[in-house]
Amino acid sequence: MLGLGKKSSVGNNTEKQETLLTLSILTLAAILSFATRLFSVLRFESVIHEFDPYFNYRTTKFLAEEGFYSFHNWFDDRAWYPLGRIIGGTIYPGLMVTSAALYHLCWLLNITIDIRNVCVFLAPLFSSFTTIITYLLTKEVKNAGAGLVAAAMVSIVPGYISRSVAGSYDNEGIAIFCMLLTYYTWIKAVKTGTILWGTLAALAYFYMVSSWGGYVFLINLIPLHVLTLMITGRFSHRIYVAYSTLYCVGTILSMQISFVGFQPVQSSEHMLALGVFGLCQIHAFVDYLRSKLTRNDFDVLFSFLVYTVGILFVAVFGVLTLSGKISPWTGRFYSLLDPSYAKNHIPIIASVSEHQPTSWSSFYFDLQILVFLFPAGLYFCFTQLTDANIFMILYGVTSIYFAGVMVRLMLVLAPVMCILSGIAVSHLLTKFMKNTDSVKPTDHKKSKKLESNYVMKNEISLAFVGVICLLLVSYTFHCTWVTSEAYSSPSIVLSARSHDGGRIIFDDFREAYYWLKMNTPEDARIMSWWDYGYQITAMANRTILVDNNTWNNTHISRVGQAMASSEEKAYEIMRELDVDYVLVIFGGLTGYSSDDINKFLWMVRIGGSTDRGAHIKEWDYYSTSGEFRVDKEGSQTLLNCLMYKMCYYRFGQVYTEGGKPPGYDRVRGAEIGNKDFELDVLEEAYTTEHWLVRIYKVKDLPNRGV
Amino acid sequence: MYKFLFILVSVWFVNCAEQVNQQLINRNVERTIDLTSQLVKITTTITLENTGKESVRTFLVVVEPDNVGNLSYISVKDTLKEELKLSATKVENRPNQMFSVQLKQPLAAGRSNVVTLETVITKGLVPYPSSISQKEKQLVRYFGNHYFYSPYLTTKQTTSVTLSSRSPENYTKLKPVAQSDSTLTYGPYNDIPAYSQDPMIVHYENNSPFLTVTRLERLIEISHWGNIAVEENIEILHTGAKLKGSFSRYDYQRDSSSSHHSIKSYRTILPAAAYNIYYRDSNGNISTSQVRTRKDWIELELRPRFPLFGGWRSSYTLGYSVPSYQYLFRRTGASYVLNMRLLDHVFDDMHVEELETKIVLPVGVRDVVISPPYEMERLTDQLSYKYLDNMGRAVITLRKTNLVEQHIQDVEIVYNWSTLMLLHEPALLATALYILFIFVIIYVRLDFSIHKPDHSKKE
Repeated sequence: MLGLGKKSSVGNNTEKQETLLTLSILTLAAILSFATRLFSVLRFESVIHEFDPYFNYRTTKFLAEEGFYSFHNWFDDRAWYPLGRIIGGTIYPGLMVTSAALYHLCWLLNITIDIRNVCVFLAPLFSSFTTIITYLLTKEVKNAGAGLVAAAMVSIVPGYISRSVAGSYDNEGIAIFCMLLTYYTWIKAVKTGTILWGTLAALAYFYMVSSWGGYVFLINLIPLHVLTLMITGRFSHRIYVAYSTLYCVGTILSMQISFVGFQPVQSSEHMLALGVFGLCQIHAFVDYLRSKLTRNDFDVLFSFLVYTVGILFVAVFGVLTLSGKISPWTGRFYSLLDPSYAKNHIPIIASVSEHQPTSWSSFYFDLQILVFLFPAGLYFCFTQLTDANIFMILYGVTSIYFAGVMVRLMLVLAPVMCILSGIAVSHLLTKFMKNTDSVKPTDHKKSKKLESNYVMKNEISLAFVGVICLLLVSYTFHCTWVTSEAYSSPSIVLSARSHDGGRIIFDDFREAYYWLKMNTPEDARIMSWWDYGYQITAMANRTILVDNNTWNNTHISRVGQAMASSEEKAYEIMRELDVDYVLVIFGGLTGYSSDDINKFLWMVRIGGSTDRGAHIKEWDYYSTSGEFRVDKEGSQTLLNCLMYKMCYYRFGQVYTEGGKPPGYDRVRGAEIGNKDFELDVLEEAYTTEHWLVRIYKVKDLPNRGV
Repeated sequence: MYKFLFILVSVWFVNCAEQVNQQLINRNVERTIDLTSQLVKITTTITLENTGKESVRTFLVVVEPDNVGNLSYISVKDTLKEELKLSATKVENRPNQMFSVQLKQPLAAGRSNVVTLETVITKGLVPYPSSISQKEKQLVRYFGNHYFYSPYLTTKQTTSVTLSSRSPENYTKLKPVAQSDSTLTYGPYNDIPAYSQDPMIVHYENNSPFLTVTRLERLIEISHWGNIAVEENIEILHTGAKLKGSFSRYDYQRDSSSSHHSIKSYRTILPAAAYNIYYRDSNGNISTSQVRTRKDWIELELRPRFPLFGGWRSSYTLGYSVPSYQYLFRRTGASYVLNMRLLDHVFDDMHVEELETKIVLPVGVRDVVISPPYEMERLTDQLSYKYLDNMGRAVITLRKTNLVEQHIQDVEIVYNWSTLMLLHEPALLATALYILFIFVIIYVRLDFSIHKPDHSKKE
């Protein structure tokens, strides 16, 4: 095909070659982004990872089996006993709908794929799409070359891989694609000023809203862009059309998601969008007036309008806020603006590791050379300011701030890092690659002039290109290493190396959950710390008290109080909550460090944060020297609380390490302080092979007179 | 349809109720009751004598009233170890379940013949006490009959009971009785009238795995590309003495004695040619299994996710593939024969409460003839769609309850199938792609816009 057009038209031929090259690079990048996320499937199996994905998996299964309406009306009585949870109204359904649609499409074609596999491979699939959409977006902002570099970079960037490996079935997996799609359509809309693109942007925004709570970032960024354009005097009819369409259609659509409801017109997080929408109308109206009126008349009218509108706006906003129509800012968003807010006020937010502020090292770990290329990309954007470039600059600057506040938001930063770095690399390479060419005889004069300016231009260019290539290669190796080492463990199955180099697999979680599923009554209620709630409902199909959807602080606090109290007090709480079984995670035998004893202080803090738990004080659980220790020095309150007893029941007789006394806890590195005790109100129901999960049965009240 | 036939057949059986031939007597009966596993295996050698004047072609075997629901397997062999034909029958005025056995050669007047009756009874051993703690030993009670239950007079009878322990707790002592090692010998008893019953109870220690497969779904999928996929969904239950009180992992890990009533692991035998073996449950792969290749079979050591104590249940899926050339043969032209096991080995001395075997035949089969090795209920056929099928594959479902190892037998299925059907799906796919390309070509070449842009390239 290429050979045919050779003689007829050279221009046509290079175009075709370019298309071929672009397509093949893009395809390779898309395949690569899929393939690099499969480490965990190859090493372990096609299994859902971690905690939240299990909930998503469970709901997806329900949706695929029962249909959309019963999903929408689903009242889940398996969680938050005795309150229950209305699933349909408290989740972003985009992820579940996407995979259920894919599942039904496959079955329509009689490809009998398991719903679990759809869920496992959805995130890699969407990261392939993200690669393509990154190319399109960067192409709009800069050019096709930069697009290809950005696409290649985004396909393996660890910051994004961390949330989209096969099995990590979470909202973020598809939300990044939705976000970039919205940006792409938005930039298209800004560039063309057509209602078509505006509406497409609104649809993409709707998809984004339906799939992730992070849409709030987006609905603030786009108005911010419009506002910046207004301030810089770049406001035009194109932007007016684009934003008005996006805002109107997008807001109405987003209100269809029952979890979002009336928030887009009520909550303060959405007020910027509404304000900018109003401002757009005023700006357009003022522009119209200016074109019709004389200068003096206009000035009078303008100052009058500014004052009235300003006063009115403040008054209305104040009234609405006071009357509670505009909801106050929620804790998670305060913590975005002030990183220390959560730590001081809401223990339940602070207890989640992914809500912690990002450390500097994790920037390098997740982005590597992008950290250095990013400012260069910003600079190149500044050198040629366009509407689209301004958007990229805003996106880059805001997201780097948010990523610094919360580790989780590294995900939002990663794509823009790739885009800007792609721009930088592409720009630099095109500059220097030109100079590495042998001197062309045609523009002899120009080259002579340049040659006089640069010494050894060819060599320097070559060296520079070499350095860039080296950086890119090191980036590739780094990304692959990080993916394989850090982000590809399912965390539901643990593996370790034994002394002789063989692999030991700790499959205790599934062992325990399967035991619960098989050998407890169908309606048994299981108390555990909220981390394991989603896994228990999904894998054991049993009723739990609290789960990872931490919507009811009081209820979680009650569980925390039970864990932190002595056996008699805990028994009262457990009877009150109708608990049949209690499940704890204990790593003392294997050295698994994220177990319940290490999380225990959070239980104490959260337990003590409500009125009923006011008697639980964090200081009671520290030793006299102010340390948290489980050995003989530890505080008596700790050594006799329910959590301690459940974790260490009969552990005092076990030899864990050579040369250490029995009952040596390998995580805390100490011999436990309270060894020979019996449980009065509980009995051991099951303990897994490596003691990782321990399940206790709550005894019935003793018979009278016994 | 099948139900109707079944009713017809049973009505016919009832109508032609037989008379007991009083001329036949059991000259000598030697019974061996094997109680070492969870099953009760009774082997009875009967010396049958015809005291009448006419030769006899058939004789009757009666199932004890207590065993009616629990009789899993029954077979009668002659001295040459050849199986004799059994057919269910009824006798006037007796409610018992009976079988009429067809002798190979008529038994002439005054002659005698030796036959071996083999029965396997499930749920014959009852744990007593019914719940025990983790450290205790599992004791069971066997309820049987001191006499051989027969419609004929028995002249002489001896019974030996093999136990799994050397010191039984207790046993009924109908003299003469003797115990040596783990064997109890009852008898000889003389001149026992027909249908005699005298309860025999043996209470002894039995730590062999009391594991019951409560439901086994076996799916066999045939592909003429050279592969037969087998998948078994198995639900198991420990039917021994229930666990009383708590389970202590510490005690469990310290206790290294091999004879324990809990079940840690068991062996499953697969065909030697099996490959792509997987062992999983609804939560994913179960990482505790081991495959050992033996000369004539593959031995799979399966460990359930957790050790099974009395009353605990578990379930799993075991799947593998076998090459089709070992099981699928071409008879003539387009006619094929499939010989596959209806039920395969799950563990030694297994007891399967319910079996459902589904056989998925290739696309476009016709004239399917099934010959199961024993009586089975055939459920309605279904169609299954897989791998881009548009015509569907016929699925044959066979069901049977209460099975043991002796039921591991082949089913034979004959069907007609044209080799051209192999190309059905590739052709379908090619057509779909072809149509897609045609559409793309048309879309790219033609201009569909209503409005012609002003700055068109052509102008």
